[in-house]
Amino acid sequence: MPEERADNIIMQKVRDGDLAKMAVLFERHHRALFRYFLRLTGNREFSEDLVQDVYFRMLKYRHSYRDGSLFTSWMYQVARHAHLDGVQKRKGEAPLFEVGHENTPEPASTEPDPGELLRRRQDLGLLRRALAALPVEKRELLVLSRFQNLKYEQIADILACDVGTVKVRVYRAIKALSEVFFELAGEKAS
Amino acid sequence: MNCDQVKEHIADYLVGALSRSEAEELKEHFARCAACKQEVAALSDTWQMLGLLEQEQPSVQLRPRFYQSLEAYRQGLESAAAAPARRRLFDWGASGWAASPAFRLAWSAALLAVGIIVGVGAGQWLGGRDRARGDLAHLQDEVHHMRQLVTLSLLEQQSASERLRGVDYANRVDQSDTQVLSALLHAVNHDPNVNVRLAAVDALRRFASSPSVRGSLDRSLAKQSSPLVQIALIDFIVDTRDTSAVPSLVALEHSPGADKNVKEKALWGLAQLQ
Repeated sequence: MPEERADNIIMQKVRDGDLAKMAVLFERHHRALFRYFLRLTGNREFSEDLVQDVYFRMLKYRHSYRDGSLFTSWMYQVARHAHLDGVQKRKGEAPLFEVGHENTPEPASTEPDPGELLRRRQDLGLLRRALAALPVEKRELLVLSRFQNLKYEQIADILACDVGTVKVRVYRAIKALSEVFFELAGEKAS
Repeated sequence: MNCDQVKEHIADYLVGALSRSEAEELKEHFARCAACKQEVAALSDTWQMLGLLEQEQPSVQLRPRFYQSLEAYRQGLESAAAAPARRRLFDWGASGWAASPAFRLAWSAALLAVGIIVGVGAGQWLGGRDRARGDLAHLQDEVHHMRQLVTLSLLEQQSASERLRGVDYANRVDQSDTQVLSALLHAVNHDPNVNVRLAAVDALRRFASSPSVRGSLDRSLAKQSSPLVQIALIDFIVDTRDTSAVPSLVALEHSPGADKNVKEKALWGLAQLQ
């Protein structure tokens, strides 16, 4: 994993005083962080504020980064705290998930049938609603494992639990998502 | 493999991380158990569909905001690093042989003599330049006024990122600007975003000599809900040797509701101030 090793080395340099190197880590990870927050909150502006917050915290607490630890795990740990604090601060404000990201691109498909494309598009809309309806803990598990493409070992590191627990939680989360999705699809069909 | 064991392997199945023997066992189980086969197929479909959701992109403003914040942070650190160096210079005269009355008397006399010579010389040199100096002062006033306006208006913004920019701008205004000072103090005490509050604490270091800063931050310590801000405030109090804050630190250290790390930091702060 040469990219991960490079991230670790860059973060060590930031920690040791070369703050400008944080720009490299921004360029490499800010999109992934933005999507992580967007999947969790459903709000673009709030997600961008949280991305800023993560880089600010990584600068401020750079001395807590330890040699040998995986940068992305540390970054997501910081991101989780930023998210929790951010949501706490927003209590009483407008609910999140108010901004729908409805501009679904056409899914890659070899089928030219417009009816099939429309059904697929509707399914993705329902899936997005189902994901938003999940408790945030379950949604986060799916975001980390499916969208951020993190290995279960790394997720265990981020969540401070063992790998077996992560696998059980992923199973429960995808099962819950599936149930909500079919429930919504049933509502729509009836 | 029984039904419960199948559930334990579903997470690995979804990401294709099953070993060959586990995959074989799962296949054998599916041949015997239609319910498990159906459930795994449904979950697998949902998992695959998740991969079809769009990859959203952040707005184009995110990048410049980050670079602006990074630069502000670096400048803030440089300013903070310069401040203790200045303090050491002044501390130097207050200890050791330099503290002796004879040395102080001689030093004062020497400074007085240098002051008179420089004052007379500079007065003559500057005499013919009053108009130029007046224009320059006017220009400086305008620049200062503009920076003050930008700072105050950014600190009023809804977005936390914009308010952070306002705090960054505060680093460019004159240290005697009471309006900006008040806005920063207000941000420390009332801004809903913890990062804005932290940045405002850092920005206030430039105004550390003002008595209103010392008294306000002392009171702010008890009001803060965020341990991070409390720790930043304790650092500030220690760095500025604000001994008037000792009662607040003692109260914080004994406060039953205070964060454990904050209590430790308060104890550390008290030791530093003694």
